[in-house]
Amino acid sequence: MAEAIQLRSVTKAYQRAGESLRVLDELELTMAGGTFYALMGPSGSGKTTLLNLVGGLDHADSGTVMVGSVDLTQLDGSELAAWRAGNVGFVFQGFNLLPVLTARENVELPLQLTPLSRRQRRAQAERALQLVGLGDRMDHKPSELSGGQEQRVAIARAIATDPQVILADEPTGDLDRSTAAAVLQLLQRLNRELGKTILMVTHDPQAADYADKVIHLDKGKLGRIDANPGRG
Amino acid sequence: MPWKLLWRNVLGHPVRSLLTVGAVAVAVFLVCVLDAVTSGLTRTLNAASANRLLVQSAVSLFVDLPLSYQQKMASVPGIEAICKWQWFGGRYEQDKGGFFAQFGIDADTFLPSYPEMKITRGSYDDFTKQRTACCVGDELADKYGWQVGQTVPIMGTIFERTDGRPWEFTIAAIYHSDSPAVDNQTMWFQFDYLRESLEQGGAEGPLGVGVYMLRMAPGTDPVAVQQAVDAMFENGPQRVQTTTEAEFNRQFISMLGDVPTLLRLIGGAVLFAIFFAVLNTMLMAGRERTRDLGVMKALGFTDRATGILLVAESLLLCGLGAGVGIGLGLLAEAPFAVATAAFLPGFGFDERTLLLGAGIAVVVGVVAGVLPGRRAARLTAIAALREVG
Repeated sequence: MAEAIQLRSVTKAYQRAGESLRVLDELELTMAGGTFYALMGPSGSGKTTLLNLVGGLDHADSGTVMVGSVDLTQLDGSELAAWRAGNVGFVFQGFNLLPVLTARENVELPLQLTPLSRRQRRAQAERALQLVGLGDRMDHKPSELSGGQEQRVAIARAIATDPQVILADEPTGDLDRSTAAAVLQLLQRLNRELGKTILMVTHDPQAADYADKVIHLDKGKLGRIDANPGRG
Repeated sequence: MPWKLLWRNVLGHPVRSLLTVGAVAVAVFLVCVLDAVTSGLTRTLNAASANRLLVQSAVSLFVDLPLSYQQKMASVPGIEAICKWQWFGGRYEQDKGGFFAQFGIDADTFLPSYPEMKITRGSYDDFTKQRTACCVGDELADKYGWQVGQTVPIMGTIFERTDGRPWEFTIAAIYHSDSPAVDNQTMWFQFDYLRESLEQGGAEGPLGVGVYMLRMAPGTDPVAVQQAVDAMFENGPQRVQTTTEAEFNRQFISMLGDVPTLLRLIGGAVLFAIFFAVLNTMLMAGRERTRDLGVMKALGFTDRATGILLVAESLLLCGLGAGVGIGLGLLAEAPFAVATAAFLPGFGFDERTLLLGAGIAVVVGVVAGVLPGRRAARLTAIAALREVG
């Protein structure tokens, strides 16, 4: 069973031009494990900040962020790094593959933080790439791949360590419509077939349609959560 | 640690990496050569014999001493043998651009006073018996393809023959010395040949002696001999300065200035420049890789690991540079040693020189990697990813 995510009274503020800007304001939110969530809201509503907190990339100013049984607010920098390595996968808008590495090596990168042998790492990276349909592009560098292929490599990298939670920040923002649909279908498959909890930030209502539920944020607070009618 | 990433990052910018490695290689090569020169000077000084004293004019090495001094000095207790040394300063007709030293010496006392010299070809007896004979170093003979019995024409510059022709010396013996105290590129000939030519009008030039070498008997106090000789000529006609061979060599080298300090300063300046070159490369690399560092941190790599990655990259570049530099140095050692043998017979790379080159590369690599490494370690994943949009 994938891990649930709970945020209790979470507040996060940034200093901008000498002023404190509260991005998340006493946010209360519970997300069930094994569910595909889309996170929507206007710019500045706190979507990416929420994603960063859930992904252990940032600390809340107050409140608790629980992923499964782990309270991320209690972990220090190196503990968070170790937690991220085994529990969460990231998919970014700009793909963020390392340009000097091949697709296989990019996917293998997070596996270097596991106790797997070199051969096991290679096998697991190849499995992940085959899962996203890039079994024939393993030795290509990012510059030799299309945008959609790059994003699929990024997804393979995100699932390589078999994390229960996948966080995607505008994963289709840089893709055309048909390529975006293929990437969203892939995320949907990971949720349905592998039971991954997916939290995807998007501005695109059509992308949000692929999710089970759509969370609306507004000015750092939870607006509402819509169950997607197209999904069971 | 993703070592493959380390290599790929270095190979990802081949021109920049090549230039940095090249710059470090040149610096390490230069530092090794400079160190070999200073080590060579030290070896030359250390190889000086303790039982040889040298007497020169108290005014300057370039002022000759009277011939009559030899007989007077022979009366000083403890002096076993005396040998004249007179700088000839001639030019080999077949190689006008080349240079090697020629000295007029007393053949009967010269070789017995320099046991480090071994006759490898020909006969020293023949040298002593023949007025126009000469004894040459094996490196000099090999350089010009000279054989025993061959006549070598030398055009005098200080001592010119009145008939305008070059002096002719016949090679009677070829020697080799393993000690830096005596180089293997010098020509020795009989001082008496020079003296007779000057006295009989066959040549023109100053009739005197540049330096007297005094060989002391075993157990003799060198200070007592020095003081006795200096006191003997205190009232002229030419005051003298008597020194140990090591001190004489030191003074000779110091005529060029404080060479070791000068070389160390040059080496230090080279290192300073190369440090900034490597630092610049690594700062550029760190900045360019900000997004990659952010991604790595998001994937779970620690601050420490990302910092070490940049320090390791800096070390790798410097290590490669050191390898190339030391390799070049080893390749150049033999030609350099031959080229400098006449004035720096002790030149050569030893283990210490090579370790110095490698050590410098390690220190520059670590220090130049620390700043970008620290920046990488302090960077948060969010800031790194945000920086590039």
